Amino acid sequence: MTSLEGGVMEGISLSKAPNAKLRVLKILGGENLFKKLSIMGIYEGVIIEKKLNYKNGPVLIKVANSEIAIGRGMSNKIVVKEEK
Amino acid sequence: MKIILTGNPNVGKSVVFSYLTGYTAISSNYPGTTVEILTGKAKIGGFDCDIIDLPGSYSLEGDNIAEKVASDIIKKSDYDLIINIIDANNLERNLLFALEIISLRTPLIFLINKCDIAKNRGVKINFTEIEKILNVRIIPIIATVGFGFDVLDNEFKKFTQNKEKYIPDIPVPSDTIEKWKKIGEIISKVQKIEHKHPTFLEKLEVITTTPVTAIPFALIVMVLSFYIIRFIGEGLINNLFAPVFNNYYFPVIEKLRNYISYDTLKMLVFGKNPVPMEGFGILTTGVYVPFVVVLPYVFSFYIVLGFLEDMGYLPRLAVILDKFSHKIGLHGYGSIPLIMGLGCKVPGIFSLRILESNRDKIIAGSLMFLVAPCIPQTAMIFSILSKYSILYTFIVFIYLFIVGVLASFLLNRFIKGISSDLFVEIPPYHIPLLKNMICKLNIRIKEFFKDAIIAIMAGIFFINILDILNILEKISNFFSPFFKNIFSLPPEISSVVATGFLRKDIAITLLTPFNLGLKEIMVSSFFLVTYLPCLASMMVLRKELGNKNSFYVMGFNFIISLIFTFIFSILLNSLKLI
Repeated sequence: MTSLEGGVMEGISLSKAPNAKLRVLKILGGENLFKKLSIMGIYEGVIIEKKLNYKNGPVLIKVANSEIAIGRGMSNKIVVKEEK
Repeated sequence: MKIILTGNPNVGKSVVFSYLTGYTAISSNYPGTTVEILTGKAKIGGFDCDIIDLPGSYSLEGDNIAEKVASDIIKKSDYDLIINIIDANNLERNLLFALEIISLRTPLIFLINKCDIAKNRGVKINFTEIEKILNVRIIPIIATVGFGFDVLDNEFKKFTQNKEKYIPDIPVPSDTIEKWKKIGEIISKVQKIEHKHPTFLEKLEVITTTPVTAIPFALIVMVLSFYIIRFIGEGLINNLFAPVFNNYYFPVIEKLRNYISYDTLKMLVFGKNPVPMEGFGILTTGVYVPFVVVLPYVFSFYIVLGFLEDMGYLPRLAVILDKFSHKIGLHGYGSIPLIMGLGCKVPGIFSLRILESNRDKIIAGSLMFLVAPCIPQTAMIFSILSKYSILYTFIVFIYLFIVGVLASFLLNRFIKGISSDLFVEIPPYHIPLLKNMICKLNIRIKEFFKDAIIAIMAGIFFINILDILNILEKISNFFSPFFKNIFSLPPEISSVVATGFLRKDIAITLLTPFNLGLKEIMVSSFFLVTYLPCLASMMVLRKELGNKNSFYVMGFNFIISLIFTFIFSILLNSLKLI
């Protein structure tokens, strides 16, 4: 996965990440997406938990103790790294 | 005194509103139940108050319509107090909105709701500590049983004596991410989550969301819902409503009929003949259709829907349907207006507001009119096809479904842009409370009485007048070649079509006197469901989508309806299925 600056970043999109505790590294999108996600507690640096993955469909995550379903397109734009 | 109720979606604002005002607002377990602003009057601590229930919002910066409406009202600050409701199960996420309104420097009281459920799930909140940190008076409540409202009464009395004291003065960071960091600190001080063995409901959440088990479960739920609705509906008709009508009501009406000698009046009131579905008298068909055929189904549909809503199944169904929905240009939450539309199109159209873009709304609106006949229509189709095997009823509904999916597929291609992504909170399951279910059923039945029954009777009256003035015949003659040659339907149908959009259930009733064959009933049922929305939903659609877009939706559906009625007629005639 390449970051916006073009450099190589270790991390994968939320849609491809395993069901585990993940740290959000980067949100690849505009102001609107950034705002929309941050309102629900998803922002760069936060730890989320991926609970379920629907093949080519939405993912289900847990953040701030609540479950949120995120469509495929949006979850492709969230870059995460597994948090050990 | 003017009070506004705010909070995240699905925290129980409508339950609090209902409790305070005694006016019952519909509440369910999914985000976006309330899309309108509700106002009511209440006595709190002995004071007369105007209460305004706002749609739930996650943030004052939120960008969906319901959130914008809420934040505009909050920012106007022409009220005396904000009562903000927080879900104890979701303290962390709820605190973002809480901090945003704290920074408005306006009088506040916080209610922390659903304390009972939180306790069962192992969530422990230190209320005195959070009160100190936020500098806002906090009252734990359980709104569904009315726990904690006496404390609110006392607090409100104190508030009226010194309003200034209720304006919090803690510093709040302006940036959202900084707010989250502050929330993290607060949570570590005030909340402990004990690990508990998963409850039955928590296990069920996993089963009904994990794809392998969720899809069969969803299918079972849908088929079972269909059968339960039919079972309760038919049971009520055969064992209660029809016997009462036939044994007690009808004989009285028949006696009265003999007292009236003036023919036109007799026809208007008692119908052309004594058969309840054919005579079209205001006191015969006008009572039989709404009370005996439709009401039992309205009742049974809303029992099942109410259960699924209160349990919290609908958002999970939306997740399961998300992948499929994208193929027809929607995301999974688009299924919620459709399900509402199966009851009545009017609330269905209102709930289109939970979708963000106009594109989503147009596709979901159009799909709703094609695949989701409202329950009065469904009841009439059941009734008119009841002498045949249930298979034929299924064929009509499956054909509606296929056509709707094809049409949305086309719309998805035609309308520029891409469908937005699903992004929605999935609430935990709740055991539906009988009290709430009855309350909600009561509201919906009342709505039906208010809107439908008078409209049905007025519709029947109007059609009779047209008939007496020979206008129906003229319309029939004009359109009949079209119906006869293209849809292979008897020419009389055109009079039904011309008047049927007033009320769809009457339209289907109007078919009865023609003694149509099975194929003709199926084809005309399909056409009557799809060709135009009923008058009430037309008006609401115009209000929600605007003139231009609602015109496009209706025009598109009308064309689709013509084409696919033609195809349906050919299919049924040529395939010799029947």
